[in-house]
Amino acid sequence: MYKYSDFDEKFVRERVAQFRGQVERRIDGSLTEDEFKPLRLMNGLYLQLHAYMLRVAVPYGTLSSRQMRQLAYIAQKWDKGYGHFTTRQNIQYNWPKLNDVPDMLSALADVEMHAIQTSGNTIRNVTSDQFAGAAEDEIEDPRPYAELIRQWSTDHPEFQFLPRKFKIAITGSPNDRAVVKAHDIGLRMARNDAGETGFEVIVGGGLGRTPMEGKVVREFLPKADLLPYLEAIVSVYNLLGRRDNKYKARIKITVHENGLETIRDLVEQEFTVRRAAFSGIDQEMLAEIKPAFPKPTYIQAPTDAFTTAYDADPVFRSWVDTNTVAHQNGDYAIATISLKKHGATPGDATDAQMREMADLAEAYSHDELRVSHEQNIVLPHVHKSHLPAIHARLVAADLATANVGLVSDIIACPGMDYCALATARSIPVAQEIATRFDELKLEHEIGALKIKISGCINACGHHHVGHIGILGLDRAGVENYQITLGGDGTETFAIGQRAGPGFSDTEIVPAIERLILAYLDLRENSDETFLSAYRRLGADPFKAALYPDAEKGRKHAA
Amino acid sequence: MQPDPFTASVADRVTDLNERYLNHAAQAVLKRALTDDTVGRIAMVSSFGAESVVLLHMLSVINPATPILFIDTQMLFEETLTYQQEVAAHLGLTDVRTIRATREAVAAHDPDGLLHKSSTDACCDLRKTVPLENALSNFDAWITGRKRFQGKTRATLDFFENEGDTRIKINPLAHWTPDDVQDYIINNRLPRHPLVAKGYPSIGCAPCTSRVAPGEDPRSGRWRDQDKEECGIHFINGKVVRGPILKEEPMNIIVTDQGFGQDDWTLAYTTPDELADNSDAPALAIDLASDADPAVLAGKLDGIDMIRIDFPSFADGRGFTLARRLRLMGFNGRLRAKGHVIADQYAMARRSGFEEVEITPELAERQPWDQWKARATWQDHDYQNRLRGAV
Repeated sequence: MYKYSDFDEKFVRERVAQFRGQVERRIDGSLTEDEFKPLRLMNGLYLQLHAYMLRVAVPYGTLSSRQMRQLAYIAQKWDKGYGHFTTRQNIQYNWPKLNDVPDMLSALADVEMHAIQTSGNTIRNVTSDQFAGAAEDEIEDPRPYAELIRQWSTDHPEFQFLPRKFKIAITGSPNDRAVVKAHDIGLRMARNDAGETGFEVIVGGGLGRTPMEGKVVREFLPKADLLPYLEAIVSVYNLLGRRDNKYKARIKITVHENGLETIRDLVEQEFTVRRAAFSGIDQEMLAEIKPAFPKPTYIQAPTDAFTTAYDADPVFRSWVDTNTVAHQNGDYAIATISLKKHGATPGDATDAQMREMADLAEAYSHDELRVSHEQNIVLPHVHKSHLPAIHARLVAADLATANVGLVSDIIACPGMDYCALATARSIPVAQEIATRFDELKLEHEIGALKIKISGCINACGHHHVGHIGILGLDRAGVENYQITLGGDGTETFAIGQRAGPGFSDTEIVPAIERLILAYLDLRENSDETFLSAYRRLGADPFKAALYPDAEKGRKHAA
Repeated sequence: MQPDPFTASVADRVTDLNERYLNHAAQAVLKRALTDDTVGRIAMVSSFGAESVVLLHMLSVINPATPILFIDTQMLFEETLTYQQEVAAHLGLTDVRTIRATREAVAAHDPDGLLHKSSTDACCDLRKTVPLENALSNFDAWITGRKRFQGKTRATLDFFENEGDTRIKINPLAHWTPDDVQDYIINNRLPRHPLVAKGYPSIGCAPCTSRVAPGEDPRSGRWRDQDKEECGIHFINGKVVRGPILKEEPMNIIVTDQGFGQDDWTLAYTTPDELADNSDAPALAIDLASDADPAVLAGKLDGIDMIRIDFPSFADGRGFTLARRLRLMGFNGRLRAKGHVIADQYAMARRSGFEEVEITPELAERQPWDQWKARATWQDHDYQNRLRGAV
């Protein structure tokens, strides 16, 4: 794991002191509310529906057990005993008091963590593949590059007051688990014809009210050019991005309005200038960062215990089949702990659960945990012989739900229960869907299916890239849920298409049930996923299931 | 107990209303104003200007039959008259009353329509204030779109005001910011006045309204180059305010690593457009707007001694990239950030390539030197400089 240098340590301490001063200056009137707002935002502090919310960065999703324990401590001491893991590898505390926030930041600094640039119109926490450094398909661990970008973007003097927020994601694998095409900048590791590794640079992707697939601005960027190239893109955006309308201020609109060619020309021109300003020290620093992300010192041990348990215990087998994937090392597995218990709030964990996960990581996962953008926690390096013990402890901690990637592994934004922007509730809908399919006992039969729910048009629940997306809107004071179909956030990226008129809060769960039962009838065999069936058959048979009355009407008319 | 609407004085009713609606939102204030017995007969006065559509829309949702008084000074832009018709139709407003000065009054005081050239106050009086006063005599209360941010004279505006002990004046948008107005227009997809896109953020009569440059105060286009802020319909402390209000032009403060100081730069600034004409000047100083393209100065930087980049708002970070680009283009002269830059941004300004910041005395008073000094050690903790290294 990356260890803070003296420089990092001093920077974070200084930043906490600055924020403490800013809170005092807000109270004494030196700062107006307007002036204070971006300053608190760039330190992760939002004003939500009921109270302040503090969003803490988990850089590139990697945590040590010590850090996870500190997150539990903060939840217990300054919040209501739980935290909420988000779709951008952050954790949010929903009930802090303004005066406590500097102390919370200080407690984070004690374990080399911070809340810097988790909000505001600035470069946000860089996200990455939650399986980085463990995944079987990986070209190279992307996290040293993510750490380099973290340092470069932190307090960047040009980019603290951008037209709008700016999100960067990076993946080192051809299978995209970081949704790079839905980010302001997406970096996908690639090889050129000479066999060298570099980055494919994607720009102008995003979800929100105007979903757009990112476009390739540079096919192959040598790794040494990463920082000046990023600096060129963001500086072009800073001058060109619209500031007259916040709904048109993201770089996706800048690219859309100016055209990819114009943006590419401007970026390449600026890149030449910016490149010359880098002496190469950044590459030396990168070389120093890389050893902080070593391969684990693998245990050499038999895996018989695993095989025995797998054959004997159907509950364990179900959890292994659903919640673990292949590791680079054949004796190891990557285990995902679901924070999506049927009926619970997606992404929430209590302080006791956080401590238990920290203990498991310390005992069985080389002291490492990951936060996934799907709001689950990952034990990235587990020797298979330890899986039965881990599973037993997860059962005791109420964390053994075997549903990763299934219908109840739903991404949902906080919705109207917490968020000031939301126009509909999303958590209760997620809970009802999960409970319904648990009752039907069809979850494993249905197989891989991503449902994503947003409580407003800003799309924090990523509904555009859900195989089934649900968007909650307010229609004349009544909640109304629209369904999109066929979205995909991976390397086969697609934005979901709207199926038709929306459903009321009492109709939405039955509609989803009709849709999924129709899929079970339509699929060729149990290997054909919902998304594959949708791509083969098109939207019509699914729409027919959603709107049976409309279908009847059409037949009568014919 | 609420004051009796028929016997209580206007002052008592206003005090009571302000207390009751202290923490309410604009829509709530408007809704209650239209239904509260203690308010009485009510009309909205609208110029159908740049921001009027917000209140008109709120009103149309609550009661589109509310009387709306539109003052046609007969000096308005053609676009305003067309826009008035469009908005009324779009929102379904059923009682828009056009108010004009009487033909006799115009013939007597401004027969050739040039009164505004000799006295804007007299012109406003004739065409706006008197006709409105007459029209309002049938009402107990009127609604306006005035907001606190619009100027010093409006900075302490309340939702309800006592107007000369005769009428209640209601300002539902008193606490709104420019962003609130824009968000409301965008979110409700309301039609915009066509002149806004042409550079008129505040629209009055054609002879006395001019374009406003980006970054200027939106109301600076009204009665430009005159010491006039209000047309006379508006009252300060219950009295009509007339004539020039003297404005002081206090000196700005220059912030450097050493502290606050006086401006030692005495030569005039030119814009990039004027640069070619001034090539013989002894020391060239350029004022650069925040939306400028730094490329316009390519090849000319050697002859320039000072570039001053405007910060219309501290939230507008373009100036930081402009400064960095000018430095990367090879500019070695003085680089100054001017406008709304706050102490917390001082290190960013210095790291981006600025040498100094020019701020107003008001800001200097609110954020004294010790708050800037806290960020004057800008070389410390600088990730970017560390990553770039010396070239």
